[in-house]
Amino acid sequence: MSGWHLTPAQAHDYAARRSDEITAMSVEAHLMHCAPCRTLMPADEQWLADGWASLRDVVDRPRRGPVETLLSLAGLRAETAKLLAATPRLYQAWLGSTVVVLAAALVAAHVMPRGSLMFVFLAPVVPLVGVALAYGRGVDPAHTLASVTPMAGQRLLFLRTCSVLVPALLLCTGAALLLPYTTSAWDAVFWLLPSLALVAGSLLLGRWIHLSAASGIVGALWLAVLGLVSLSGQTVPVGVFAPAAQLWWGVLLSALLGLLLLRARTA
Amino acid sequence: MTAVLTGRVRLRGVTRRYGTRTALDGVDLDLGPGVTGLLGRNGAGKTTLMRCLATDLDATGGEVRLLGLDPSRAAERTDIRRRLGYLPQNPDFYPYFTAFALLDYMAVLKELGGRRARHDEVRRVLLQVGLYDRRHSRVRRLSGGMRQRLALASALMGDPALLLLDEPTVGLDPEQRIRFRNLVSRLAVESTVVLSTHQIEDVAALCGQIVCLDRGRVVFDGPPGALLARARGRVWEGPGDPGTGLTSWRLPDGRHRVLTPEAASAPGAGFVPVEPTLEDAYLLLVGLSGESEAAR
Repeated sequence: MSGWHLTPAQAHDYAARRSDEITAMSVEAHLMHCAPCRTLMPADEQWLADGWASLRDVVDRPRRGPVETLLSLAGLRAETAKLLAATPRLYQAWLGSTVVVLAAALVAAHVMPRGSLMFVFLAPVVPLVGVALAYGRGVDPAHTLASVTPMAGQRLLFLRTCSVLVPALLLCTGAALLLPYTTSAWDAVFWLLPSLALVAGSLLLGRWIHLSAASGIVGALWLAVLGLVSLSGQTVPVGVFAPAAQLWWGVLLSALLGLLLLRARTA
Repeated sequence: MTAVLTGRVRLRGVTRRYGTRTALDGVDLDLGPGVTGLLGRNGAGKTTLMRCLATDLDATGGEVRLLGLDPSRAAERTDIRRRLGYLPQNPDFYPYFTAFALLDYMAVLKELGGRRARHDEVRRVLLQVGLYDRRHSRVRRLSGGMRQRLALASALMGDPALLLLDEPTVGLDPEQRIRFRNLVSRLAVESTVVLSTHQIEDVAALCGQIVCLDRGRVVFDGPPGALLARARGRVWEGPGDPGTGLTSWRLPDGRHRVLTPEAASAPGAGFVPVEPTLEDAYLLLVGLSGESEAAR
């Protein structure tokens, strides 16, 4: 280091941005190494502190994953996107297996006689399985920590349910559009109300027992009823989704949602 | 609401049953600011009590008031959770998160401020537990002790008025344990800290109040001095194993330390009474309460 130091006049000119280019570069190079000369520079401490804090924040900010980025781009609040993206690995496995199951159901529908029954049986259960794997002890590694936070309970369960329902409904509707007998949009959503009613039923039952168990019971009941009807030789399984039956599914869904809201308010 | 929240922990006749098994049986408790040590054998009901205090588990009977609020009511339970820090036994995480991202996620669940304030809080607690340098490490790459400190950091977020720590020093090395004690003792000036542990040294170093559970019941509730006073005259050292003590063990110098159920005469020739430690007092307490139960 040379014995050269800034004069007060040079420091003043530099601070006032009146130094020529070469002097300014020399001053900056010198200031990097000379603490006494740095004290000659006027400094806004608050501005500096804010600057460092901003820099730290940029360095520390967790990198957003693709799902979180996508949800943010879709207009969700950053916090909501973070909560939805941090779903358990089992949920991600469910998403993958859903694609496989629906693809298998489609193949069956196209190549086997009565093969579309597989889709009829499974489509309403797909979201149910996702709900079972999205929230609760045993399926969510961080549940013990998360379960005693203000967001825990109904709010987090609702968010996680949404994170299951949206992809499930999209996938099932997409698959239904590819079924051999689908000729209209109505044909592609015949399973929707029963599916939502099953999810609402399991959420309601989940108030008393573990959500996974509740979903298992509701799903098993659904499959058992359809299986029994099919074994009895009737073609009725499709009748479960007929327009008249849809009305009853709508009534059941409304009732279950009403009960869920009531439970949420009085819990 | 703030005035209400300055209250602490108050339990009256709290019972918790799992089917036919009673884990908590008529527990009465009053806890103020400071550190309270929760002691008891495995299965004594400590974790059940901690989960009731953490609003993770409902009591099946009795009255629970936390920070002046009733956790059985949804709105009040949420208010309690805003002022609560809980380190559960054997905490688990999302292994693919970084330490910073995990705490950021927990901070969102705790409804802590906007992004900048939240990140400041995450940095603060990471520094407190000595994990700031590992903030970008994925959880699966952290050692057991580091994960324990990460869970502690999660519990500390938001300066909780009620801090519940279930076996917090498991996996910590001696240096980290000292650091943990310093941290908790500083927090306990204003907060109520409940420390459930088998580490009597931690209790001796930190706690102004000790609660001892046995078979779901409170068998002792008081300051460490009162527990020690119960043990005076019942701890002896001398040559050889007299075989009559409630508990005895060989010391490094070849002498034997003996705990006797009653304050009585020496258990053998050459035995002299010695000042009890908190561990002696605890062993006498749980040994006696176990014996009295067996005698019923």
